Amino acid sequence: MTALAVTPRALMPKLARLPGWTVLVLWTAAVLLPLYILIVSCFKTTAEIYDNRLGLPQSFAFDNFVKAWTRADLGQNFINSLIVTGGAVILTIVVSAMAAYPLSRYRLGWNGIMLGLFLSGIMLPIRLASVELFTLMRNLGLLDSLTGLILVYSAIRIPFAVFIFANFMRVLPSELDEAARMDGAGEARILFQIILPMVKPAVSIVAIFTAIAVWNDFFFPLIFIFDDRYKTVPLAISVFVGQFRTDWGLVFASLAISMAPILIMYCLLARQIREGVGAGGGMK
Amino acid sequence: MTDPRRMTSLQRTQQRMAVLFILPALAVYALFVLYPLLMSLWGSFFTWKGLRMQEFAGLSNFARLFVFPSGERLYGALWHNVAWFFGIMLFQNGLGLLFAWLLFLRDRGAAFFQSVFFFPAVLSPVIVGALWRLLLAPGGIAEWVLNGLGLHQGSLTVLGNSHTALAMLIAVDAWNWMGLPVLIYTAGLRQISGQIFEAARLDGASNTRMLVSVALPLLMPAIGTLTTLSFINTFNQFDIVYVMQGVQGNPSYSTDTLVTYFYRLAFGAEGAVGITDIGLALALGTMLFLILSIGTLLMLRFFDRRTVQL
Repeated sequence: MTALAVTPRALMPKLARLPGWTVLVLWTAAVLLPLYILIVSCFKTTAEIYDNRLGLPQSFAFDNFVKAWTRADLGQNFINSLIVTGGAVILTIVVSAMAAYPLSRYRLGWNGIMLGLFLSGIMLPIRLASVELFTLMRNLGLLDSLTGLILVYSAIRIPFAVFIFANFMRVLPSELDEAARMDGAGEARILFQIILPMVKPAVSIVAIFTAIAVWNDFFFPLIFIFDDRYKTVPLAISVFVGQFRTDWGLVFASLAISMAPILIMYCLLARQIREGVGAGGGMK
Repeated sequence: MTDPRRMTSLQRTQQRMAVLFILPALAVYALFVLYPLLMSLWGSFFTWKGLRMQEFAGLSNFARLFVFPSGERLYGALWHNVAWFFGIMLFQNGLGLLFAWLLFLRDRGAAFFQSVFFFPAVLSPVIVGALWRLLLAPGGIAEWVLNGLGLHQGSLTVLGNSHTALAMLIAVDAWNWMGLPVLIYTAGLRQISGQIFEAARLDGASNTRMLVSVALPLLMPAIGTLTTLSFINTFNQFDIVYVMQGVQGNPSYSTDTLVTYFYRLAFGAEGAVGITDIGLALALGTMLFLILSIGTLLMLRFFDRRTVQL
């Protein structure tokens, strides 16, 4: 074996790897067992949950899901969360790409200052501004409003999105927009039809991490939403846990429903998420 | 260079287009993030009546924050946040490093384990908190398992016991975010040239020795990122406490954090009952803002200086 061909595997003999595998498998169990219990408990009645802790349910009945969706009105919460998440993702992508395009590709003389202003927002602890934000939202008539949530989430996610878009757009060759400009294309057309399709990885990073952050957020609905009709899933769940404390099957089912979209997205996009996080810790 | 008289027509168009293109993002960001944040910092120097700003009060809000009856809550919450940070550094980021190192030494299964370990991190802390609240409840599955193994007898009250509750929440938080250090450390380890490990191996270094003496110094940027992220997340901790222990940080304030205390001062206790004190809330917010900004800057500088250049 040459020195250059070394792989990490070659660093360790086979038998010595056994304790390491055990450690890894143990944590895998620590992650998967609670999720397994969550899934099987969805199909059990409360009595069955107590009698048969770890086994599969007697039958795969969907009673708990139906109850959660209708009686506890999780269906409405689910639709609200979809609207807010979709709205915030689209708004964030559109305005951030628009801002990042001139900031990364024009020579304005003030690119640096403006980028700095946006980037300073990545770390700002916005929760601490929630009192003034509450007053602002009340004055704008945006309390108890999904539009209000969309605007706040977009505002919070814009710094990260501008950062990602600017980084991806900066490295594209300048001939791209110059050639299009020669052909008489307007700046909006250059951005949306030429530049944006070239930075698809940036679009997916921004979309994935904005969607996760918005779908999961609990703090802002807690402050801004009082009317049951406008509650999002995490807010509804926090109420269920206390309200239906004795109906464990129902609570487990509503937890399963609320994590379903994220679970599906994660199975489809696990590689992109792993790489996105590994590259820069783009979470939170 | 940007003297308007000497601009070409392209540059003039670009200046105009740039303003038009930046304006929507800037307007939303300035209105809903920068403006409320600046107003909150400014407002912490005033007296308040409900949500109305009264007169300039200097540092009196800050002074009230540290004395009875607020002082007890403040120091308690601050201590819980500090303990939380060290708990996460040890249990999440320490164990995460071990997992990442074990995955790095194997060329099979890394993607699978990474995906499994990271999955809880894409779930809402509300779901994670609710799930563990059910699992750890008296009569729950954890009690049944521990009793069955003979490790425990009777009802499991770890969440209701003020000596164990905080540690339980830290463990749940670590379970939630374990995938983050694993992903960041593995990415960092893969950037290190294999020749360095081979050279160390030829010098007779053991695996442990290679981790401590070779990998760790080269992982400084990753350690810095994680320490800073954990610091920020810990001092913003709210969701898990709210869902598992309520906004009072039950039992008897033993899991209270700075943000749950801030929330009570600003919006009242559960169901919007209880007395709010906006002046105190804003002073606490300003203090937290300073802790977070100064802490983050110091950490970034500290780790920047310790980054090894090859």
